[in-house]
Amino acid sequence: MSYKCSRCKRDVELDEYGGVRCPYCGHRVLLKERSRDVKEVDVN
Amino acid sequence: MAPDYDVEFIDRGDRDREARFLVRDVSPAFANGIRRAMIADVPTLSIDEVRVIENSSVMFDEQIALRLGLVPLTTPDDYEIGETVTLALDVEGPGTAYSGDLVSTDDRVEPADKNVPIIDLKDPEGSETPQRLEVEADAVYDVGREHAKHQGGVAVGYRHLQTVEIVGDADEYGDDDPHILRGVIEEDGELIPTEEFDHDLTQRYPGKEVEVHDVPNAFVFHVETDGSMSVDELVTQAVDTIHGRASELKDAVQL
Repeated sequence: MSYKCSRCKRDVELDEYGGVRCPYCGHRVLLKERSRDVKEVDVN
Repeated sequence: MAPDYDVEFIDRGDRDREARFLVRDVSPAFANGIRRAMIADVPTLSIDEVRVIENSSVMFDEQIALRLGLVPLTTPDDYEIGETVTLALDVEGPGTAYSGDLVSTDDRVEPADKNVPIIDLKDPEGSETPQRLEVEADAVYDVGREHAKHQGGVAVGYRHLQTVEIVGDADEYGDDDPHILRGVIEEDGELIPTEEFDHDLTQRYPGKEVEVHDVPNAFVFHVETDGSMSVDELVTQAVDTIHGRASELKDAVQL
């Protein structure tokens, strides 16, 4: 899962042990990045 | 055998998108059939599938897809139902993404109006990159019956042609209320749109008592298209679809 720290704007990889916390600045607010996949949307 | 009918133009709007014409000697059922065919049976191209490559705007992909679907596209007449054209849109903020930014793989297919706003893209303060919208879309050729975005005719209707009969003098002491009538009247073989006398019969026939009658089997059509085709094309294609279904029925019954 790739997230972005809302304070230092660095990319953060979360694992199951680290908890929700930025390893660089300790900030606890992380933003989930949009997937790079192309999303198909049906218009209706 | 159908009786001979007659078509006469009353006015044409700008850019071939709007027209008013009189059709004589058709039954009310046939007039309504043409109206319905113009709305539901004439196919147009419309965006039906969107592949979102990047959307950092403030709106959901689905909302943007819906907006793209509603953009009227010019439609050549050599397409088959279900056939597709690919279009692409790539706009970066700050600025507005307009329908005119859509690029098509077929030169003849383009947005009928270039100034339909899709979304306003910003360059937010503190953000590394400005908002960006990059999509690829497939427009499909289909009929208005399937989805309203495929409707070529957007304001299609008709009224009876009317005549005005002078039945006497107006009551001298009566109220001078306006007598409003909208449409087209026929007077001594001449067609007069009611706009000419501000839709008010008391202006055209002052001091007269009048009665308004429908002219049988004469209909004044008002047709406006969304720009995907001209009024002429819309009407002829609508009539062609009726003809096609009629001959289909004829063949089926003969079996």
